[in-house]
Amino acid sequence: MICAGIDAGSRAIKTILIDTENMQVIAKGLADQGVEQDRLASELFKRVLKKNGINKKDVAAIVATGYGRSAVSIADTTITEITCHAVGVHHLVPEAMTVIDIGGQDSKLLRLDTAGRVRDFAMNDRCAAGTGRFLEVVAERLGVELESLGRMAANSQDPAAISSMCVVFAETEITGLLVSGTASEDIVAGVQASIAARIISMAGRNAETPIIFTGGVAMVSGMADAMQTALGQTVSICPDPQMTGALGAAILASKQLKKAST
Amino acid sequence: MSDIPKRITLQEWDLRYEQLEKAGTYEPDYGGPLSRHVEDGDQRLLKLRYDNSAAALRLWNFLLTEEDRLHQARAAGRKIVGTMKDLGTVPVMAYCFENIVAFYPDGAWWIPCVMELGAGLLEIADSLGIDESFCPVRAMLGAFVTGAHFPIPDMLVCSVGATCDDFSAIAQRLNGLGHPIFWWEIPHRRRPEPDETAVNLPGGFSAPKCQVEFVKSQLERIKTTLEGLAGEKLDERKLSAGIKKANQVRRYLTELRHLAFTAERCPLPALEMLIAEMLAIHFCSDRQETINVLKELLDEVTSRVRAGKGILDADAARIFWVNPVADLQVMNLLEDCGGRICGTEYLFTHALDIIPEDLPPLEALAQMALADPMAGSSIDRAERICGDIRLFGAEAVLISRIPGASHCALEGLVISEIVRDKFDIPVLEIEVPPVTDSMRPTVHTRLEALVETVKARRQK
Repeated sequence: MICAGIDAGSRAIKTILIDTENMQVIAKGLADQGVEQDRLASELFKRVLKKNGINKKDVAAIVATGYGRSAVSIADTTITEITCHAVGVHHLVPEAMTVIDIGGQDSKLLRLDTAGRVRDFAMNDRCAAGTGRFLEVVAERLGVELESLGRMAANSQDPAAISSMCVVFAETEITGLLVSGTASEDIVAGVQASIAARIISMAGRNAETPIIFTGGVAMVSGMADAMQTALGQTVSICPDPQMTGALGAAILASKQLKKAST
Repeated sequence: MSDIPKRITLQEWDLRYEQLEKAGTYEPDYGGPLSRHVEDGDQRLLKLRYDNSAAALRLWNFLLTEEDRLHQARAAGRKIVGTMKDLGTVPVMAYCFENIVAFYPDGAWWIPCVMELGAGLLEIADSLGIDESFCPVRAMLGAFVTGAHFPIPDMLVCSVGATCDDFSAIAQRLNGLGHPIFWWEIPHRRRPEPDETAVNLPGGFSAPKCQVEFVKSQLERIKTTLEGLAGEKLDERKLSAGIKKANQVRRYLTELRHLAFTAERCPLPALEMLIAEMLAIHFCSDRQETINVLKELLDEVTSRVRAGKGILDADAARIFWVNPVADLQVMNLLEDCGGRICGTEYLFTHALDIIPEDLPPLEALAQMALADPMAGSSIDRAERICGDIRLFGAEAVLISRIPGASHCALEGLVISEIVRDKFDIPVLEIEVPPVTDSMRPTVHTRLEALVETVKARRQK
């Protein structure tokens, strides 16, 4: 039997199909998010089915998650990204106790129990300062690719202090730093440290290890290092970090199906 | 009891109202269909969901006709006193006078929500230099400027000291606009030193006797001023009688809270519970009718609990809610997400505690005023919240922050750490502005995730 998860995030839509017999991923795909969220999710899903020679009627259940989950009309049900990321990460890294998830528009910190259930969680506020959007703004402002941020941060000699609590103000601050001659590498390192600091404030006094970093921002080089430095603890990047929400959604679709049939 | 307790829309209430009317259900003089209030500009009502009982109808109509009552009081020659910030002390005293009606101008903080920003009150506050960096209670300034939401009071009384800094600033601005305020001071409640005489306060707190004496002296000042306004002496007998009446309100609310929060199935929506609790602060400009409204609501809830009926599924996640919300719709949203309220701390728990009746009345009021959660530390608040979590069996805590409010910058952190240490239950903080429409998906995700987390934790 096949179950699917669709993670309709703020910047990208991800889908994963799993074989419920062995819980292995059999197909996956990703597309940019846009205004017509339902159509984009549906097109991505069809594309992934076609590419992998899977018939829609063979998909027994679909769970949608992510910011735009309620717009995904092909889904049988929706579950929040908090629960789905926890399930996805636990499936890939069963010993995970803390999950840091930074996506395009929000960031979250999940505390798990040994069975992978969410014990507690925290999310950022309305401001995007601790999210992937912040990195995009910085890359745009510096005229560099997102992928190069990690390399730039690694070359920083003296990370700049970014104190603003808001992306818009931070952009002004970055302009000021550039005018004052601060190296782009130091600005990038400062921004990454600032995002990490936001996460630390959510973690409170104790982030239980192992700490697993997931979400699209985990793929931006240098971010895990910044997180590790700020936390003073090892932070491991989850395998295929951008897909964990969709994976968790697919697993939960399978569990719901099994529960319904018993 | 209503046949099937449920939450209904305003349109559904119109049909329900017709049924109740045909059935000859008793209505007070301020009764009528709920939808008529939309004509006054209360657009948010169209988006809320309401309890379908006649008792809830009476509660809503009572709340939404307060302005009419104040105008009637003025026309009848009664004096109107705006009692600001103390959330429950001065109104007890004010209602002891035959010809004084007290109300709560701070309540204007809900006008931007109820009128969906249509009244322009926040813009007026902006123009007066009180911008969005301040608590939404700044809408009160706009209400005073327009004079469109309540009659300008004959007297304003406001507590300062251990209160919200934002409110003090806003009230000072109001004073500067030509609305003189009678200020009284409430000190920050502290624990007694070993060499000081300790006084046990309502709510389980304690304070040194000298603090109680100080607050008593402040209340003496207020009493004298009110006597001057009313042209009537307030003796101990009258004050004691007023305290007994206030306690009647508090007893009903205590019973209502206990029933609503501990029942197996939630018997009354969070929104109606919030409004019922708010009545304790200032009696919605009619103390006796507050008692009548609460009695009917309590009877309805009692019947529902006895019949095992409720408005939500029995497995709803049991959430303890801290701080009132600026947008009433968020209370509906929790229930839409599968949660129910099991305990509240809306910053006026002292107005729910019984005022001691075995003490000289001013002493009793002073003790009650000092038990105000805002006058103490966030640690004290957290301890009280923990006691109620235990009592009501809450499975998670939701702290709704009020943008700009400055009761304590760290209250969320303090409360969440203490709650987590004691109960190891999830604690979530959300920010709720007066109108959350643009943030609804974000708030929805957080509430839904909290409910999912609670339900997942039930699985052993």
